[in-house]
Amino acid sequence: MKPILEQLDDKRAAARLGGGEKRIAAQHEKGKLTARERLEVLLDPGSFEETGMFVEHQCTDFGMGESKIPGDGVVTGSGTVNGRLVYVFAKDFTVFGGSLSLAHARKITRLQETALKNGAPIIGLFDAGGARIQEGVDALGGYAEIFQNNVLASGVIPQISVIMGPCAGGDVYSPAMTDFIFMVKDTSYMYVTGPDVVKTVTNEIVTHEELGGASVHAKKSGVADGAFSNDIEALAQMRRLIDFLPLNNRNKPPVREVYDDPARVEPSLDTLVPPNPNKPYDIRELIVKTADEGDFFELAPDYAKNIVVGFGRLEGQTVGFVANQPLSLAGVLDIDASKKAARFVRFCDAFEIPIITFVDVPGFLPGTRQEYGGLIKHGAKLLFAYAEATVPKLTVITRKAYGGAYDVMASKHLRGDVNYAWPTAEIAVMGPKGAAEIIFRKDMDDPEKMAGHVKDYETRFANPFVAASRGYLDDVIQPRNTRVRLIKALRTLRDKKLTNPWKKHDNIPL
Amino acid sequence: MFKKILIANRGEIAVRVIKTCKRMGIKTVAVYSEADADSLAVEMADERVFLGGSLPAQSYLDMDKIIAAVKDTGAEAVHPGFGFLSENAKFAERLKKEGIGWIGPNAHAISAMGDKLESKKLAAAAGVSTVPGFKGEIVDDQQAVEVAGDIGYPVMIKASAGGGGKGMRIAWDESEVREGFRAARSEAKSSFGDERILIEKFVEKPRHIEIQVLGDKHGHVIHLNERECSVQRRNQKVLEEAPSPFLDKKTREKMGEQAVALAKAVDYDSAGTVEFIVDPNKNFYFLEMNTRLQVEHPVTELTHGLDLVEQMIRVASGEKLELAQKDVTIKGWAVEARLYAEDPYRGFLPSIGRLVRYVEPAEGPSGPGTLRIDSGVREGDEISMFYDPMIAKVIGQGDTREKAIDALSAALDRLDVAGLQSNAPFLAAVLDEPDFRKGAIHTGYIAEHFPDGFHGTAPKESQWRAFVAASALIHTVFVERAARIEGRITPGMGDGKPQNWSVLIDDQQFAVEITLERGLDGGFAATVYMPGLAAEPVNLETGWKPGDHVFEAKLGKESFSLSVEDRTQGYWLRHRGFASLVRVYSPRVAELAARLPERPEPDTSKQIISPMPGLIVSVAVEPGREVKAGEVLLTVEAMKMENVLRAERDGTVKTVSVKAGDSVAADELLVELE
Repeated sequence: MKPILEQLDDKRAAARLGGGEKRIAAQHEKGKLTARERLEVLLDPGSFEETGMFVEHQCTDFGMGESKIPGDGVVTGSGTVNGRLVYVFAKDFTVFGGSLSLAHARKITRLQETALKNGAPIIGLFDAGGARIQEGVDALGGYAEIFQNNVLASGVIPQISVIMGPCAGGDVYSPAMTDFIFMVKDTSYMYVTGPDVVKTVTNEIVTHEELGGASVHAKKSGVADGAFSNDIEALAQMRRLIDFLPLNNRNKPPVREVYDDPARVEPSLDTLVPPNPNKPYDIRELIVKTADEGDFFELAPDYAKNIVVGFGRLEGQTVGFVANQPLSLAGVLDIDASKKAARFVRFCDAFEIPIITFVDVPGFLPGTRQEYGGLIKHGAKLLFAYAEATVPKLTVITRKAYGGAYDVMASKHLRGDVNYAWPTAEIAVMGPKGAAEIIFRKDMDDPEKMAGHVKDYETRFANPFVAASRGYLDDVIQPRNTRVRLIKALRTLRDKKLTNPWKKHDNIPL
Repeated sequence: MFKKILIANRGEIAVRVIKTCKRMGIKTVAVYSEADADSLAVEMADERVFLGGSLPAQSYLDMDKIIAAVKDTGAEAVHPGFGFLSENAKFAERLKKEGIGWIGPNAHAISAMGDKLESKKLAAAAGVSTVPGFKGEIVDDQQAVEVAGDIGYPVMIKASAGGGGKGMRIAWDESEVREGFRAARSEAKSSFGDERILIEKFVEKPRHIEIQVLGDKHGHVIHLNERECSVQRRNQKVLEEAPSPFLDKKTREKMGEQAVALAKAVDYDSAGTVEFIVDPNKNFYFLEMNTRLQVEHPVTELTHGLDLVEQMIRVASGEKLELAQKDVTIKGWAVEARLYAEDPYRGFLPSIGRLVRYVEPAEGPSGPGTLRIDSGVREGDEISMFYDPMIAKVIGQGDTREKAIDALSAALDRLDVAGLQSNAPFLAAVLDEPDFRKGAIHTGYIAEHFPDGFHGTAPKESQWRAFVAASALIHTVFVERAARIEGRITPGMGDGKPQNWSVLIDDQQFAVEITLERGLDGGFAATVYMPGLAAEPVNLETGWKPGDHVFEAKLGKESFSLSVEDRTQGYWLRHRGFASLVRVYSPRVAELAARLPERPEPDTSKQIISPMPGLIVSVAVEPGREVKAGEVLLTVEAMKMENVLRAERDGTVKTVSVKAGDSVAADELLVELE
């Protein structure tokens, strides 16, 4: 018996070596960990249960028959993050450059099916060269089957992609359909077609980094939800993120022990909104001072900075924060901000995460650039997302809530559960000056009269009490009590039940 | 006694005066500018009067408005604090005419001491030791050379009306005198509109030591010994203490007697300060007299057990001094640090803005002494561009100088400031320096000890221990808490089993084994074994909990406090002048981390692009200017809101493509860095 058992150990050792020591060294040289090392950092020590370790490809064309490596370029299995079950796959760049064969694809689809059936998140670590060209249509088919599973799993289990090396062509569309994409700075890039093809087709000369590096996707395109400085930091942050998320859409988000005081009052918030209505302030201060222990996991911090989204906790329970950011573009809603927030709101709604919205929005961004870009439809995404959401929705208007943007930002009219405003709130169709200039156009040339009209409009609408008198606000609250009041409101919504009419699915303006 | 006093000042000193008034049962009136509408002083005062715009000229320097406020509120006297109108003889005169009390010296004393030439003549006449020099105006460079020769080199050439180092030249020979004279004169003319020039002996390695005097309206004047304020940066006092570690009893008495003589010569009738420079041989020379309360007055109060503001109020109301010179004794030691909103790591650039977090250490016991804090701000307040960016005065007191310094250092470690950068790490670094501890200081101390600016101090063995133990505990708390989360399929951690970590600080790596227990009162206790740093396991106890930014702890017999920030990359810790990003990894992750080559910080954008269509409000830089990451480059107004664009990296400005008033399109290149 002994030699047979030893044979297993040998086979395992060989499989664990992947593409061999030379390739592993090259991987390290590039500042990257290997697939198995990454899983060690991501998962609780000793928790990884590998599946499909001995899977090999079946291709015999172009001499592939002689070249087989167990695992076939992807490491798959399950493990735990702080004791909670997750499914993982990690592309192994040392094995055929991590390229995708049919066997490789099947390992992933099987894992997806298991994760979906058992109701646990799936995390993919990408570092691969695309389809294995030798396999032809088999590889393409493999991709499509992965995509299909991504779609079926969407909204049922959280799906997270971390790009930790090349990710191009067919490989990009699986991450694109997951809930979150994160990248590692300088070592990862993702694009549909690479620099060579770009040059042939458009004569454009770009580097990998310029075309699809972390700086592009985390800042310009918004494809990535964050970028980290190295593999270890990225994976540690994934552990932090997973702690916020439910395992699936049948579970509530996990509650974690808190050291913070639910009765904590923050007097300094009373002066957060500056006396000058045109002066910006950092809305993140409100989020950080509201959340338990000041712990806030911000998503896409460098993209569409005029809106801030991310996860925090209240009394240990995960909540999603959405907040206009006056520090950037006055917190205006534009195409990018609308898309960024809409996607986040829909994620929260899909996974039973209450949404807390802080509003200080001067309106939608005017201009040809925005209109030509389709602001109407993109803005509608956020409106749609808020309107369809049935999770607890709590809203606090800190300052401006002007025009259509007031409606959009989780207003009472969109089934907001608890809508508060600070005394500094101004809820109106537009700013006092603009409004007065329209209503009293005949007095345009009389600055003294105009000033009077502006003042009148200000007194009438530049406050939260008109809205409160209509019942559009549940209360006007002291800024310092924001955390306390939100916590109390959230307690009442623990068993909130609200369902939308049955439909096959809705038709969000994509 | 007055029933109601108006404080013609703001910030910390206004709060300081109000506190004394409250104790004395006197009602207070605060005056304020637009920027100070929500300030602590305004909140604390019994009444408040709005003066006007944020610029001092529109508010705190506007005599008419202040006098009107006095009349409107029925205040009987004005306390001017320091700065603003405190040394304005005209203001004192006007109040007198209006029959309003003035809590300061008579106008004659103010004006006599206000002019450098005049005050020196008066001092010499009163028998006060003055710097050897020519008592008069120098008319040309020939005379300058003669005078310099008589005094003996090196000499200081300076503007009669000068201050703040402007129009000052040091000359070591004849040719430097000629050149310095011309340069000083033209600078004096352009800066002060007064080209009168003085020449006097230049004292090398001088100490700045000043005598506190106190007089009443009945001809009594006493002195309250000295304060040493030698630690200065660009003529700005940084640390002040009482007594001076340098003076002996004889010199102290002599200085005190001369200060009293000068005060008597001008019928001085309030609190005032006679400033001297003292050379290494304890020769002292009169510098100037400040006819007001000094910023650093608390160190005198703490070492003499009295309240100078109270004394000022009493004498102003006509009371006689209760204290006789023979009753004045020095008790213990006090050291004051001026906490400023400035970035010591970036050439002490002002770092104004909102105090997003501001938690002062509690007054009372601190380390081996006690702590006093004089401040005028609260969390959420703004340190504005309109006024002096001082946040607070932090004062340590103890039986000995050593204990006072330790009390102050301990307090600086318990201070939590965020939103802007403070000079706390720098203050703590100076307090830790062996030369400062020895009392070997002079006015060029900072320039000499920090010739290339401040870059943090090198860690000591005890700081390694503190950082390793603290970060291991913090990390273990987070890890074990996370492992108790809902929905697990495996048992949690944290059942008192030891955890092993590898702590990375800068390029050092430390192994640590920690066993965590939840302490009483919500804190934590742990046994920490750090083989590289201590032979035996040590006990660590702390009241810190997740979310706190100050980590106060006891490690074995050592007590310490750290500033803590939980950042994506690791834990940012600071103790005294040493700060570092600390990473805590499991031994296995540390092994993996070591396999990856160190990557240089990626080059972020050198181009500053307009974020949207708008109007350039102001441009703060010009080509060739060196900028630091975070420095303001320009301000764009869009959507009627001002957007401040900052440098994302250090660099030199290559091009500035716009000027104030320009309209810009979205994505337009505004500034390019090299």
